[in-house]
Amino acid sequence: MNEIILALPVFLPVLSGTVMLFQPWGKKEWSRKRELFIEGLVILNSLLAAAAIGGGTDGGRRLVLFRLYSTLTIMFKLDSMGSVFAGLVAFLWPLATLYAFEYMKHEERKNTFFAFYTMTYGITMGIALAGNLVTLYLFYEMLTLVTLPLVLFPLTTEAVRAGRSYLYYSIGGAAFAFIGLVFVLGFSSVGTTEFMAGGMLDPGKAMENRNTLLFVYVLAFFGFGVKAALFPCYRWLPKAAVAPTPVTALLHAVAVVKSGAFAILRLTFFSFGTGFLRGTWAQWVVMAAAMITIAFGSTMAVREVHWKRRLAYSTVSNLSYILFGATLMTPFGLAAALSHLVAHAFMKICAFFCAGAVMHQSGKIYIYELDGMGKKMPVTFGCLLISSLSLMGVPLFAGFISKWNLASAAFDSGSGLGLAGVAVILYSALMTGIYMMTVIVRAFFPSLTGKTATAALEATDPGWMMTVPLVIFAAAILLIGLHPAPLMRLLTMIGGEAG
Amino acid sequence: MTEAMEWVLPGICGMGLHLKLDGFRLVYSLIAVLMWGVSGAFSKQYMAHYKKKSRYYLFFWATFAATVGVFLSADLYTTFIFFEIMSFTSYVWVAFDEKPESLRAAETYLAVAVLGGMVMLMGLFLLHDVLGTLDMEQIGIEAGRVLAGERTLSHGADIHVAGGFVSAKVQLYTAGFLMLFGFGAKAGCFPLHIWLPKAHPVAPAPASALLSGILTKAGVFGIIILSCTMFTNDGNWGLLIALLGLVTMFLGALLAVFSVNLKRTLACSSVSQIGFIMTGIGMSCLLAWAGEGNLLAVRGAFLHMVNHSLIKLVLFLCAGAVFMNLHQLDLNEIRGFGRKKPALCFCFLMGALGIGGIPLWNGYVSKTLLHESIVEYAHLLEEGAAAKGLPAASPALIPFLTAPGFWKGAEWVFLFTGGMTVAYMVKLSVALFVDKNPKRQEEFDQMSSHYMTALSRTVLVGAAVILPVLGMLPYNTMNRIADMGQEFFRGSGHLHEVHYFTFANLKGGLISVAIGAVLYMTVIRGLLMEPEEGGGRRYVDRWPSWLDLENLIYRPVLQRALPGICGAVFGFVDQYLISTMVTVFFAVSSVFCRALDYLTDSLVVLMRRTVCSQLPEPKNRPETDRLAHILGRLVDRWEKLKDRLFGKEDTGRVRVSAVHHMIEREKRVKHMTDLVEQSFSFGLMLFCIGLCMTLGYLLFVFYMG
Repeated sequence: MNEIILALPVFLPVLSGTVMLFQPWGKKEWSRKRELFIEGLVILNSLLAAAAIGGGTDGGRRLVLFRLYSTLTIMFKLDSMGSVFAGLVAFLWPLATLYAFEYMKHEERKNTFFAFYTMTYGITMGIALAGNLVTLYLFYEMLTLVTLPLVLFPLTTEAVRAGRSYLYYSIGGAAFAFIGLVFVLGFSSVGTTEFMAGGMLDPGKAMENRNTLLFVYVLAFFGFGVKAALFPCYRWLPKAAVAPTPVTALLHAVAVVKSGAFAILRLTFFSFGTGFLRGTWAQWVVMAAAMITIAFGSTMAVREVHWKRRLAYSTVSNLSYILFGATLMTPFGLAAALSHLVAHAFMKICAFFCAGAVMHQSGKIYIYELDGMGKKMPVTFGCLLISSLSLMGVPLFAGFISKWNLASAAFDSGSGLGLAGVAVILYSALMTGIYMMTVIVRAFFPSLTGKTATAALEATDPGWMMTVPLVIFAAAILLIGLHPAPLMRLLTMIGGEAG
Repeated sequence: MTEAMEWVLPGICGMGLHLKLDGFRLVYSLIAVLMWGVSGAFSKQYMAHYKKKSRYYLFFWATFAATVGVFLSADLYTTFIFFEIMSFTSYVWVAFDEKPESLRAAETYLAVAVLGGMVMLMGLFLLHDVLGTLDMEQIGIEAGRVLAGERTLSHGADIHVAGGFVSAKVQLYTAGFLMLFGFGAKAGCFPLHIWLPKAHPVAPAPASALLSGILTKAGVFGIIILSCTMFTNDGNWGLLIALLGLVTMFLGALLAVFSVNLKRTLACSSVSQIGFIMTGIGMSCLLAWAGEGNLLAVRGAFLHMVNHSLIKLVLFLCAGAVFMNLHQLDLNEIRGFGRKKPALCFCFLMGALGIGGIPLWNGYVSKTLLHESIVEYAHLLEEGAAAKGLPAASPALIPFLTAPGFWKGAEWVFLFTGGMTVAYMVKLSVALFVDKNPKRQEEFDQMSSHYMTALSRTVLVGAAVILPVLGMLPYNTMNRIADMGQEFFRGSGHLHEVHYFTFANLKGGLISVAIGAVLYMTVIRGLLMEPEEGGGRRYVDRWPSWLDLENLIYRPVLQRALPGICGAVFGFVDQYLISTMVTVFFAVSSVFCRALDYLTDSLVVLMRRTVCSQLPEPKNRPETDRLAHILGRLVDRWEKLKDRLFGKEDTGRVRVSAVHHMIEREKRVKHMTDLVEQSFSFGLMLFCIGLCMTLGYLLFVFYMG
């Protein structure tokens, strides 16, 4: 009966967030208390999630909330892949919240912001713990709605436009995903619609309607791919960079976009099943889309001079690394995709937080304004250096491990397109080198001839609430890079189960 | 060194690190320790006036650790990891000055390092896939099997590309080329040598000494692994390396002859010497392929590596001694600085004689061995021993390359390059120690007492003394070093004792010296100098400034063309294609929806027009209601009159005019009248018809009856 603990991390933040919306906590003297309350709540929730994960995943623990009709249920289930995502989110959220306190210090309407920010935590947990496609779809839609106010938060024209585009893209994508949901339900072999390693399609029925189902898979892939910023539906992501940095960093580099990637993993490995998809035209279509996005995102990042938008394009590219691993449709591919999911979460949140710290301390948002900032904000730029090197895939850092795994998996799959994918990854690594190192070089070795020799600018490292998360993330990148064995063992096991 | 020490760190950085210490690695680790020790001691004075000392020392020692890691690595994965770390930590050296030209050079350095690293990684992936292992003990065996066609890929099938098969052999060569690109970039092999002449002049001198002396050797280390461990007996590969070596050797020396900057000359010289080493490595492959013992080439290449490391240490530190006093490197500015400075003169001369291949100095020994190996190969080809199994590829080129005449030519290129080496070293020595500076000579002479601290002087002289000792006692010193290292190169065959100081061997060295002397007198003093006002002659840079591989090709291609084209394509996609797609989608869907929307409407309209059309509105009849008007007005007036008579005030109620009432009435009356009229006439008409029919009937009956 302890399975109720699966529902707690989902509903606690949602309910508390809703309550917060109706509390008259806008006053200044409440600020400190509210921060304590939220941080305590988020940590408690992470502990709950940890307890749920710590309880083991043997046999897939499940909790059925209610039935829509006979086999269609809203249910939570904790399996090993879900626990990786849940654990990642639970680890990042308290730190990001801490960062947000200092970042949002001077903003108005903090109460609203934190209410939605906290609610998003629960919804993301819901995606991680969803036990079947219906539940996943439900939380997926809710995620769009609950994060919309966060994108709109600055309430400038630009933000409203970004929010509108975010809404169009996400809801539109979910509509395609819904088609996939319906078909999977229709063709599932067993009575329930629960996720099953290896897929849940009835082989006989599925083979009769093979091409239809493959087409539906491609539709659903692109549908969920909208959140994962898959080409050609990526445009909302760079636009959404107008949101406050805690939102861009946590949601548009981890929670929201990774939910898209996570949903695709669920769709590919746990619903349709790789046995059905591998070697079909559908696989080549989605793999090609992922490869195009990788090359596209990193090239656009080089062109971009707005720092956060550049990072957003980098996210576009990196998310497709995960999708590329998924589309290899091998056990090793899944393990590689998950390793990049974890590694990229740390690298990108670290990079975004550095960008946010600079914005917060000096108001600089363009890369050409960063000359010499590295010396004034050593901690921030030190962390950025680690994250950049990791993004490039330099050994010792987490990014190298995941790229190595991806490329090895691509070679291992033995397909020609997989080989081309390795070339694309290396091209993208080169572009990453250009777009990240130009920032670093500018910050540490200012060009004296540059047009913006802003020597007079005074900026310092931010306070502990911002630097502590940064340092922890940088340390995590190094730790994963130096000793990835435990993580990889877990991920390989998941891959082995699912492939 | 009979037994190698090994150290395995499983799980670190993914695949685990594997380090090993055997003869070659021991020699190179010791050289690394020596070089870092000497440069570190020298840095104390060199860095005394810089503010960012702590940064310098941090990256100085970090690079040391990484470099030793490269040399100790026992699998290619470990090599790659340390190699990348080394590239990034040494970047800080080049950018250390933070002047525009150093930043530009550092940019080049970083670009070459990153690009090389990426390409190498690609090669590593491919290699891992083809061979299934990266362990240096295993790759040779596995590669041998692949080349012999005995082995397919680890997952059992050749890779399908565009419907065809790519054999394991082709993949292996591709992997080799990719990795050669990465290692060659670091080693300074043509055409990736571009970073060397740029980076050295701007880096601090102790760092240049290390960059040139040992970091390039890390690249060479990789090339050795590829050539000697992996493609052990492969003629194609050997040919490639040897050709690259010859080109690099010649062009590097040519650049050095033209250069008028002290450190740039030394850097170009490094490129050239790396060419010598690569030629040796290539020759060792070729000799092994021809089935002969390749120990000559192996020992020559290895000893030349060692010698070049030691010599460049001394030479760059001498350049550092000049730079830290004058902050100038242009030969015209530093002319005469070395006069009356015996320690500096001694050290520089040792280095110059060593690298020039003068008998009794160490460079001579290794160059002799390399020379002998080329001669031996040419000889073999003449005998036709190597003609037994020519590679099938590129039939037009291979006979030419395996002709004995070609290798005779190669021998002369080798000797001529040796001559150029002598010439540019003489140029530097004369500029520093013989020429007089027209303006600042007295100032320079006064510096003689304090231009170097005791520590710097001691370590520099100590490092310089090693060179002639090695060169004069080659049997006791260099042969032993070579014995330790040759196992690593997979050297094979029986070594016939080389007598370094017989006339046959001295001949080669002497020819080079003679060529050098002629070149110096004619080309350098004749073409590369011009008279100046004070009566002396000054050095001029006659190298055409546009002839710079970096500015001519790489930068335009990589900075403009590639991002320009890719960026333009993707930018176009982003700006136009995607938004056009969205617009078109919306347009099409809205047209479609509107069409559907209109569909119902238009159906309704169509129905109304046709089947369900309404009756036409009755036409207004002409106004025939005059009577109603008259009556109505009468009634109105009557009403008003009544109001006035009975004194009713106007209560604001609008009285309805009786006219309308009357009109209605009249209409009704008229309507009734019409009806009556119509029905009456209708009745009449029917009556008439009936009457007519009756009449007709009567007539019919009447006539028929």
